[in-house]
Amino acid sequence: MHKASKDLSRTRYFSRSLLIILSGALLMAGCAGPQVAKKGPVFFPGPPNEPKVQFLKSISGSADVEDQRSKLQLLVSGATEKDTNRPIVRPYGVRYVKGKLYVSDTQGPSTVDIMDLRNKSFNYLKENPGRGQLKKPINLEVDVDGSVYVADTLKKEVMIYDPTGTFVGSLGREQNMKPVDVALDKDFIYALDLNDSDIKIYDRKTLQYVRSIGKTEDKSQGLALPTNLTIDDKGLIYVTNITDATVKIYDKDGHFINKIGQLGDALGEFTRPKGIAVDPQHRIWVVDGAFQNVQVFNENRRMLMFFGDPPLVAGALNLPAGIALTTEDLDYFQTLADPDFILEQVIFVTNQMGDAKVSIYGLGHKKGSAPTSTAVPAPLPGAKPEGSAGQTGK
Amino acid sequence: MKTPILALAALAWFSLSYATPALAASCVTTACHSAIGAIKQPHAPVKEGDCAACHTQKVKEHPVKGAKSFELAGKAGALCANCHDGMGKKKYQHAPVQEGACISCHKPHGTGERFLLEVGEDRTALCIGCHDPAPFKQNFMHGPAAVGSCNACHEPHESSEKDLLKGPVRDVCLKCHADFAATMAAAAVVHPPVRDDACTACHNPHGSSVSMFLNKKMPDLCVGCHKNIGKKLAGVKFPHKPVMAQGGCANCHSAHFGKSKGLLAADQMTVCLSCHGKDDLGTPPLKNIKTQLAGKKFLHGPVRTGDCKACHDPHGSDNFRLLRGSYPAALYMPYKDGLYDACLGCHEKNLLRFADTTIYTGFRNGNRNLHYVHVVGRKGRTCRICHEPHASNGEKLISKEGTQFGAWKIPINFVITSTGGSCAPGCHRKFKYDRVKAEAL
Repeated sequence: MHKASKDLSRTRYFSRSLLIILSGALLMAGCAGPQVAKKGPVFFPGPPNEPKVQFLKSISGSADVEDQRSKLQLLVSGATEKDTNRPIVRPYGVRYVKGKLYVSDTQGPSTVDIMDLRNKSFNYLKENPGRGQLKKPINLEVDVDGSVYVADTLKKEVMIYDPTGTFVGSLGREQNMKPVDVALDKDFIYALDLNDSDIKIYDRKTLQYVRSIGKTEDKSQGLALPTNLTIDDKGLIYVTNITDATVKIYDKDGHFINKIGQLGDALGEFTRPKGIAVDPQHRIWVVDGAFQNVQVFNENRRMLMFFGDPPLVAGALNLPAGIALTTEDLDYFQTLADPDFILEQVIFVTNQMGDAKVSIYGLGHKKGSAPTSTAVPAPLPGAKPEGSAGQTGK
Repeated sequence: MKTPILALAALAWFSLSYATPALAASCVTTACHSAIGAIKQPHAPVKEGDCAACHTQKVKEHPVKGAKSFELAGKAGALCANCHDGMGKKKYQHAPVQEGACISCHKPHGTGERFLLEVGEDRTALCIGCHDPAPFKQNFMHGPAAVGSCNACHEPHESSEKDLLKGPVRDVCLKCHADFAATMAAAAVVHPPVRDDACTACHNPHGSSVSMFLNKKMPDLCVGCHKNIGKKLAGVKFPHKPVMAQGGCANCHSAHFGKSKGLLAADQMTVCLSCHGKDDLGTPPLKNIKTQLAGKKFLHGPVRTGDCKACHDPHGSDNFRLLRGSYPAALYMPYKDGLYDACLGCHEKNLLRFADTTIYTGFRNGNRNLHYVHVVGRKGRTCRICHEPHASNGEKLISKEGTQFGAWKIPINFVITSTGGSCAPGCHRKFKYDRVKAEAL
């Protein structure tokens, strides 16, 4: 070789290796892992409005609840994070009672997930092979003593478990119903039947069928493919309906009292109303699966606000279904909230799709501001007061 | 020896004649200016015969026909200020004082009265000389104004207060009305303008055509501040008679202070029953509520707490019997939403909406809502056909004496049991009802 070409090949070698190193570095950059952007608190309504609701956190499985196993532990045991995480796959019903979060998951495995967020535990409802086995638990109700009532649409029964998780009985076999939700009061169990579009009432002690309510003379006031129900402290029953996208309110005798909303996309209207809950201030919280939000109404059926509509940096709902409210354990949930946002109530919403399977929000007020209230503002002068029966005087 | 005595006497005569010119050459004699000598309360210089203090001699000859031998030592107020200094220091001056027109009120030589005034304690004639007499000719007069004691409240010359008052309005008033001030200090409830504002907010300090010399008659005076009440009184179908009658608001309310909330003269029940506890109130006479309540076992909730205004509006209402919600006057009125608001404002709103219920009433046979049976439908009967609105000796305020039906009092004969009851009224045969096990008809 000429000396010149030797020099040239050395240069070529040098530049080629440099090129290789550079491209390698660029390729390696892809292994750096996702950048985690620093996010501020997510408030609803958004600024500059006064915040009323804050997105706190989401849960997708046991890994979001339990203590994280250290990397060393994982290495030693040979397991991966994926192995130890028990995911929530397709949740619907949700309840928070006496410090525990109950979520009914229809897939992998079909059971009720019971989480203690403060004490970082994630468990399944006790296995009850045979008669007590859950097949497709859609919705649930939990009594204050910890008994669990599960509406199972595949078994076509409401399954009842005692506080230890042991199966104690079921309802609905004789009535051939499709129970999609269940509610309780002191004396009765109310099973929402999608087949007959009514509410079947059973005696709590004897588990005997008593009567059905929900059908009315005026068809527009009756239940129409109802999916979720709840009972407030005044004894009123609220039911969401698919056919006409309304929330219908009945008393325990089955008399139609009132309805909220209609099919539409204006504020206060629904497309796919699903989960429903009523808080101690008689505010009504309705999940809409198609709008992918929660709309909040006061007891005069006036819409107060809505939240959760995607797209959002965080806290967006994704095909949401069930909703639960609690005023328990506010001290624990306050640790998840902005320190200047004082919590009054916590809201749990299940999402059937996406990564966040249970979204947790807090209702509250900014420190120094007045607590949230349901006060209806005074009517404008000359305006006729709304509401039925024209209340005058007092 | 005699010469010095004579000299002394001459010296004395000279000095005396020059030192006291009055004695030497007096202006006031029986022949000249005698009237001034007769003045009962003369001005001090006049008393001392010191005419030269004010009158300076211009010309030696006096009297001079067609001319003045004397002129005043100073002009108007400046002359008086030679002795009477200390005026003009305060903010508000009486106009004549400001103009130096002292003699518009004071007679410079003196008068038969004190202070060189021509009037005594009753200054009316003097002050009316400039001031409008109208307020002093009213039907109802404030004491001092009635007797012309203007200076009881007003400074005659100057003051640091507006209107020449002797002090701030409240202080001037309460200096005499001391017993009022003491009672007010001890009162439980005080009308805010009485506590904070000048009394002249409501009272004319001199006099007016209204009793207690108020600026306006009640209720017009009161609704000047209490505008909502004014609006109500103007537009309401049935005003409460005492509001518009003699005495107005003061028929029930104490204007200044009192023991009870709402500035009532006494507690609510006492005030209301002071009229509604009589047999002859109105034509035709309204029911004597006192006898209605006397000795009764069961009282309607608000009546028990002595709260008449829970149901009745004491100022006026568009509703029957001054009720706060609508209520039918007739005995029969089938139920419609809104007709019975006076009762359903407190009592279960859904009471009369459903023919069957397990929730809204205990008056049911099984699930059959018996309130619905009685009140809804063509022959709907009003609540008063069975229930006494104020008090009763019967359970659930069901009338024991019966309800007035024309000339007859329909007995009800209501009997209550633990799960139901029965009625054998003068309307139908005896019917029993039971919530748990429905009675057959």
